[in-house]
Amino acid sequence: MRLEKCYFCSSTIYPGHGIQFVRNDCKIFRFCRSKCHKAFKKKKNPRKARWTKAFRKAAGKDLTVDPSLEFEKRRNVPVKYNRVLWKKTVEAIKRIEEIKIKRQNQFIKNRLKKGKELRKEADIRDVEKNIHLIKSPAARAKKLEKKLVQVIQEEDDDNMEEN
Amino acid sequence: MGRLARKRKHKGDKPLKEKYRTKRKTKDLDQIHEDMKEENAGKLLNAEIDHDKPGAAQFYCLHCAKHCISDTALEDHFRSKPHKRRIKALQIEPYTQEEAERAAGMGSYIAPKKVMVETQTARHMDTSEVG
Repeated sequence: MRLEKCYFCSSTIYPGHGIQFVRNDCKIFRFCRSKCHKAFKKKKNPRKARWTKAFRKAAGKDLTVDPSLEFEKRRNVPVKYNRVLWKKTVEAIKRIEEIKIKRQNQFIKNRLKKGKELRKEADIRDVEKNIHLIKSPAARAKKLEKKLVQVIQEEDDDNMEEN
Repeated sequence: MGRLARKRKHKGDKPLKEKYRTKRKTKDLDQIHEDMKEENAGKLLNAEIDHDKPGAAQFYCLHCAKHCISDTALEDHFRSKPHKRRIKALQIEPYTQEEAERAAGMGSYIAPKKVMVETQTARHMDTSEVG
């Protein structure tokens, strides 16, 4: 049993699923579902369709370079059955998958951090620009007036005392 | 358009199923990249006279995989939007199954390289014919 990858969206194709197209130069294209097959027939570019893995990698949305991605490979050399090796491999697969998912999640989290900072900056800028909506500029003038009046009064008092 | 009725109102007005039939399939971009290699390009551009093809297969646009009927038609085609769009689309390495597999997590991502693609010189085949 071999699990193939979809030509268009890179998802795994299990036996009995999807469809394959053989072009007249013998090249095989496998598709996981009719959505991918139709997109191929329309000559859509998988690098530009936002929902494909190829787009997400090309646009830097997903983890692209990592040692955890180097384990899964197409190996065309058969290995003789060995119980110990089999058991170890299954364990390793689970552990690698765990690490991979963790790293991928961390990557996305880090990627989203930038947006948070930018949003905060934009909010601050927005408040500074539209402060008149929160606090009337006239109110501030009144306060200033009050202060001025007080100062003048004090000065008057001082003058009175001197005289 | 004025008073005169516009012709070809129903061009391309077909259900998708009919439009994308396998028998209507045109060349994919990776096949054109293959054609652009020198040994193949020479053969396609200096094809023998074939009266079944438009223009007897003498006026071929390599990048659009299209036969024109005359030299002027080919020149006009080179100045057209679809041709320029096609040239632009060809300026990056074609997408492959290997790239799909890398994107699926089988190996690290490798960015596709840029390819220099320019419109073929129009007189290419004419000079060879005359000379």
